[in-house]
Amino acid sequence: MKAIALLIAALAAGALPLLTDSNYILGIAVSAAIYTVAAAALNLIYGYTGLLSFAQLGFWGIGGYAAALTVMSFGGTFWQGLLWAALVNAALALAIGYPTLRTGRHAFVIVTLTFALLVNLIARDWVELTRGPLGIPGLPAPSVLGFEFHSTARFYWIAWGYAVLALGGLYALCSSRIGRTLVAIKQNEPLVRAQGISPMPYKLAAFAVSAAVTGTAGGIFAFHLRIIDPLFLDFYYMQTFLIMVIIGGAGSFWGVVAAGVALSALPEVLRFSTDFRMIIYGLVLVVAMLVMPNGIAGWLQQRRLARLRAALQ
Amino acid sequence: MSVDPLYLVQLTLNGITLGLLYALIAVGLALIFGVMEIINFAHGELLMVGAFAMSFALPAMGLLYWPSVAVAILATMIAGLVIYETLLVRLRPEEFERSILVTLGVSIIVLHVVQYLFTANPRLVDTQYGFDGIQIGAIRITFTRIIGALAAAVAFGLLYVVLRHTQFGRAMRAIAQNREAALMVGIRPRVVARNAVVLAAGLCGLAGAALAPLQPVTPGMGQFLIFKAFALVIIGGLGNIPGAIVAALGLGLVESWIGGFFEIAWQEGAVFVLMIAVLLLRPDGIFKRGAMRLG
Repeated sequence: MKAIALLIAALAAGALPLLTDSNYILGIAVSAAIYTVAAAALNLIYGYTGLLSFAQLGFWGIGGYAAALTVMSFGGTFWQGLLWAALVNAALALAIGYPTLRTGRHAFVIVTLTFALLVNLIARDWVELTRGPLGIPGLPAPSVLGFEFHSTARFYWIAWGYAVLALGGLYALCSSRIGRTLVAIKQNEPLVRAQGISPMPYKLAAFAVSAAVTGTAGGIFAFHLRIIDPLFLDFYYMQTFLIMVIIGGAGSFWGVVAAGVALSALPEVLRFSTDFRMIIYGLVLVVAMLVMPNGIAGWLQQRRLARLRAALQ
Repeated sequence: MSVDPLYLVQLTLNGITLGLLYALIAVGLALIFGVMEIINFAHGELLMVGAFAMSFALPAMGLLYWPSVAVAILATMIAGLVIYETLLVRLRPEEFERSILVTLGVSIIVLHVVQYLFTANPRLVDTQYGFDGIQIGAIRITFTRIIGALAAAVAFGLLYVVLRHTQFGRAMRAIAQNREAALMVGIRPRVVARNAVVLAAGLCGLAGAALAPLQPVTPGMGQFLIFKAFALVIIGGLGNIPGAIVAALGLGLVESWIGGFFEIAWQEGAVFVLMIAVLLLRPDGIFKRGAMRLG
C-alpha cells in the first residue's frame, strides 16, 4: 500500500512539467527536489547516526565545483562531472571522518564546521583553479545522446530523476539492517560494541554516502544556476538543510522529505528581505529546538503513543 | 631565501597580539564547555556586539579608550546573561548537538538584526591614541595594538587568580571536574553556569573592544573568528583553558609568519591543517582533555 502511494507521488511529481509551463514554478520545483535530497543526506548522518555534520555545506560546494570544473576546465561531460562530484566527496569524507570520528561527537561537529569554512576559503582564494570570487559562469546545458536539457522544464527531469533515485537509495539504506545499526549507534554506542559490531565502519560509510549524495546534488544545482561562485558555499544553504531536517524530524525519513518539499517554497515567500529571511530562519531554529526537538514527525509519534497509552487505561 | 630579521620580529610581535586576542575568545569557549559541556555558537556574535559597543561608546565618550572598553565589556556581559537566562538554561549537559543548533539560531538572529540596523558597511573606529605608536628602529607598533595585547595578558592573569583563589572560580572548577560531587557539597550548577557564561562573554567583549580599533568592524567579523576559536579549542583539548591559550598563541604566530611569506590562502588554511594533524597524532588535543585544569 505504502509502496503504491510512493510510486504515485513520485510519478505525479515527475508529471509537473506537463501541468505548468511557468519557469518560475519549475525553478522552485528543481530547488525543492535538490534541497530535499541534500536534507535527506544530512538526515542520514545526523538523524540516523547522530553525528551533526556541518561538512555537508563543503560537500555541496565541492560537488558543484567538481561538476563545473570537469566540464569547463577538463573537457568532460556533465554526467562525468557528477560522477567526480560523488567520488571526490566520498574520498574526502573518509579522509576527514577517520581521524575525527575516533575522538567522539564533540570534535566531529567542530571539525566538520571548520572543513566547511576551509572549502569556502579555497573557493575564494585558489584563483587558478576556481577563478576566485568571479566564479565560473556560462555552464552549458547537459545533454544525452543529442537530447539537450536546455529549458527549465527539461532540466526538471534531471532533478526529478536524481531525487527519485537518491531518495529511493537512501530509503532502502535507512530501512535496512545497516540503517537500524546506525540508529543503534546513535542511541547506545557501548551496547552496539557489546553486540560485537564495530561502529567505526558504519559511521564512516554513512558519512561517505551522505557526502557523495550531497555532492552530486550540489553538482546538479550548479548546472541549474548555470554559474558557480563562492556564494554557492554561503552558510544559508547549510541552514536550509538543517531547518528541513529539524522541522521534519531528525531520524524520520519521510518527515524530512515532506519538510524539504514544503520548506523549499518558504525562501520564495520570504524573498522581500534577506535579513528578515535569515532572522526568521534563526527564530525557527531556536523555537523548534526548544519546543519540539524531534520535529513534526517526533511530535506526531508522541501524540500517537499518548493515544495508545490512553487506550490502555 | 634571505629573511630580514626585522621583518621577522615585526611578524612575531603581530602574531603574539593576534594570538592573545584569539585566546580571549577560545578561553571563553573552553570555560563554557568545561562547566556546561556545550559549545556556544553565538560566541562570535558576542565579540561583534563588543566591537559595535566600542564603536558607539568611543565617540560618545570623547574617544577615551578605557571607559569605552568598560562599556563594551558590560554590554557583552548583559548579552551573555540574556542568552543564558532565556535559552542556555534549558539545555542539559548531554545535549551537545542541541546546544549547537540553538546557539546557531541565536547567532543568525543577532548577526542579521545588527546587519539590518547598521548595514554591513565596515565601520572604522578611532580612539584617543589615533594611529600613534612606538618606533623601535624600523619596527613600528601602534598603541592600540600594544594595549590590546597587554589587556588580554592582564585578563588571563586575573582569570587565573579568580579560578584558582576565589570561591566563585573554585565552584566552576568543581562543577567541571565532578558534577555530582559538586552538587553534593551544595554548589548550584545553574548559578555557576550563569557565572561562567557571563565571565566568558566579558572576555569576549574585551576581545571585541580591543579588536575594534585594529580592524574594520562589520556584523560578520565574529563569525569569521569563531571558526578559528572552535578549532583552537579542539587543538588545545576541549575544556582545557591553558591548552586553548597556548594553541591560540601558536596559531597567531603561525598565521602571522605564513602570512608574511606565503599567499593569504595558506594563512587561513593553516588552522584546519593544524587541527587535522593534531587529531591524527593526539585525538584528545595536544594537552590531555582535563576537567578545566589550571596548571
